[in-house]
Amino acid sequence: MNLKKILLNGRVLLLVLVILGSIVTILSQGITYGLDISGGVEITVQLEKPVDQNIMEEVRTSLETRLNTLGVKDITLEPWGDQIIKIRVANVTEEEANSIIDTINRQGVFYAEFNGIIFATGEDIKRVDQVSYDPRESSWIVPFSISKEAAEKFAQLALGKVGYPVDIFLDPPVNSVLIVSQDVYAIMINEFQFVPDAKSLPQRLKEAFNIDVIAYGNQTAEEIAKLAEGREKVILIGINGDLESQLRNFGIKVEKREPRAGEAIDEFIRRIIGLYGPYKLQEGLTTGEPHTELAISIGGAKDDIVAMRQAQVVSVVLRSGSLPVKVFVEGVNYIPPTLGEQFKSQVLRAGLVALLVVGFVVYLHYRKLRIAVPVVITSLSEVIAILGIAALIKWNLDLPSIAGIIAAIGTGVDQQIVITDELLGGKKIGKITKRSGILKRMGRAFFVIWASATTTIVAMSFLFKFFVGGLRGFAFTTILGVLIGILITRPAYAEIAKILLAEER
Amino acid sequence: MLENTLKKLAATDPKKMITYPLIVFLVAVLILAIHFPNLGTDLKGGVVVTLHGENVDAKEVEGLLKQENFDVVVREVKSITGDAKVEIRASTDVNVQRIIELVKSKYPDVMISQTQFGPSLSRTAQEQSLKAVSLAFLGMAVVVFLFFRVPVPSLTVIFSAFSDMTIALALMSIFGLELTQATIAALLMLIGYSVDSNILLTTKLLRRKEDTVEDAYFSAVSTGFTMSTTTLGALASLWILSQAEVIDMIAIVLIFGLLADFMNTWILNAGVLRWYIQRGEKR
Repeated sequence: MNLKKILLNGRVLLLVLVILGSIVTILSQGITYGLDISGGVEITVQLEKPVDQNIMEEVRTSLETRLNTLGVKDITLEPWGDQIIKIRVANVTEEEANSIIDTINRQGVFYAEFNGIIFATGEDIKRVDQVSYDPRESSWIVPFSISKEAAEKFAQLALGKVGYPVDIFLDPPVNSVLIVSQDVYAIMINEFQFVPDAKSLPQRLKEAFNIDVIAYGNQTAEEIAKLAEGREKVILIGINGDLESQLRNFGIKVEKREPRAGEAIDEFIRRIIGLYGPYKLQEGLTTGEPHTELAISIGGAKDDIVAMRQAQVVSVVLRSGSLPVKVFVEGVNYIPPTLGEQFKSQVLRAGLVALLVVGFVVYLHYRKLRIAVPVVITSLSEVIAILGIAALIKWNLDLPSIAGIIAAIGTGVDQQIVITDELLGGKKIGKITKRSGILKRMGRAFFVIWASATTTIVAMSFLFKFFVGGLRGFAFTTILGVLIGILITRPAYAEIAKILLAEER
Repeated sequence: MLENTLKKLAATDPKKMITYPLIVFLVAVLILAIHFPNLGTDLKGGVVVTLHGENVDAKEVEGLLKQENFDVVVREVKSITGDAKVEIRASTDVNVQRIIELVKSKYPDVMISQTQFGPSLSRTAQEQSLKAVSLAFLGMAVVVFLFFRVPVPSLTVIFSAFSDMTIALALMSIFGLELTQATIAALLMLIGYSVDSNILLTTKLLRRKEDTVEDAYFSAVSTGFTMSTTTLGALASLWILSQAEVIDMIAIVLIFGLLADFMNTWILNAGVLRWYIQRGEKR
């Protein structure tokens, strides 16, 4: 075999250089893996409405602060367009992932309210203390202190009102209409009040937040639409049927809420309106003396991890203040770290086997090792080149990206076979035909290669451009593989094959 | 044997040759009309909690969750290598944390992965997919036209790709595979593979200056079969050896499409081209 002749060819030399460069890059930079391989959680956060870059940055920073306060490491926040932020956190447990999600979901607007009057908001929060457990109340406590002005206002409001309820709200649905089922309404009226003189919860909601609570008794959609005029939205609570779609037809923003499995009705109500408490006003606080220390308590046993995490979330949100725009967690993708590791080794093994299978089939077809071996080596070098570029630009190599590499290798092998067959000419069929020159045949082979490469690239670029989701990786590595193929590896393979096959004749 | 079949094929009347793939295409369309593949979680919205690990019993998990009034669908997915996983599906408003808690209390060692797609995100994904697929297809058509500049062969290549995708979709429907972002990506990738073999055939038949039509056809078939077998081999090893759903789905859809492509390239497209060349020669 004329190794020297092969290596001195310009195109082959280029390939060798690219491979060496790639290996150096991979070794020095390392490959960054996507979350589906390294394990962790990817959260897609959607903003309530499209925003400009400044607000996007503001949201990003405040979410980042919040998550940092929560104490998780390795967070990346990446804005996508004007309405989406992708958050990736590597190596977290499910519980951690869940409290991250809860933390993000809070807009963080805080109100303390008494008898229908708001006496403190987020700006009045001066300090948030460590979450602790109170065995007497059997609940988790988030202590915090409020400004002196707020405390004084509260002292006057509370003067002599022993046993009245004090409410603390986080993200209540301000300026909206709640349509609730009869039994939910009964509980809202009868509980949460403690003493007969105090205002009922619906009354307090109305006065403090302009929230109307209406018991659903088969009112028509039209009647409800009238009530919702000028309001932010209508929330249907525990109501089934097609009221939702009917209201939508009036152009009203409607949200529908159902109790979770196993959730008590009063818990459900608290969750929907963001209520913590109400707390019974103790005698010591009704003397007119201002008290700046308050607390939010979340019921649960000492070993109730869910309650503890919820308390932590509340503490983080109080500490970091409110977000400029409401955000929602729209998508979650959680992969346990060990599982990702398992996927990686499987895919690696599959890739190697695929390469061997390809080599074997090629060998079966031509019965020549001098074709099968170069085909396998060329494909392998293509993989190395793709990984090299991925390492260079720090592309997150996730599972779809790896699938893309393998798909690109598939087309790569196809094209090497086209080249080989053109080089071998009509020989295989055993007919003596007038052979056109080698250049012409190569031209024909490369016409096929360019045409199919262009179509693949065109098709995949649309995927790359239009997908926000994880499949951009698939498109990216496919395009990269095809480009490396037509520019570097295919021409080099053609040269190698030319020399190797010519020797044989 | 293969050679004989091919010889027979090469000797049949081109119009007859074209009929079979067209019938298969129509059957595929019919299947899709009756039952289009279901949309996956990432396009429809919803929650999937997957339990990886040994000894998890789908029925037991279902009972456990139904007891607490969870509205879920639980099913076991077995891979060819014998590994099993259990999938719990629910709509987005379900309390995922509670589900995970319940499962963990019963099976402390199980690995749990979780995917959630909210309604607006899945709507966006749907729109994006539709846009990506239609534009990619259009782009492919334009490129094919630019490369050949003759209407009949170009249209055949484009139709072949379309038929590949349609048949792959119909097979997905038959085997109960869902339409997800991953399978859509695979369908788009089919465009590339399909055009590959079709362009090879078209080039050989139309640009043949040295062979007879028959010889050009045989030489193209020989190359094309090797191409497809290597690709099928690679995809099959991917499908068998990995349990990652994304990879599995992409591999299986590509396999479906490549099988369809065998027929569409070597029978449909070959038939049309032979008919086209015969007509040209008569003139």
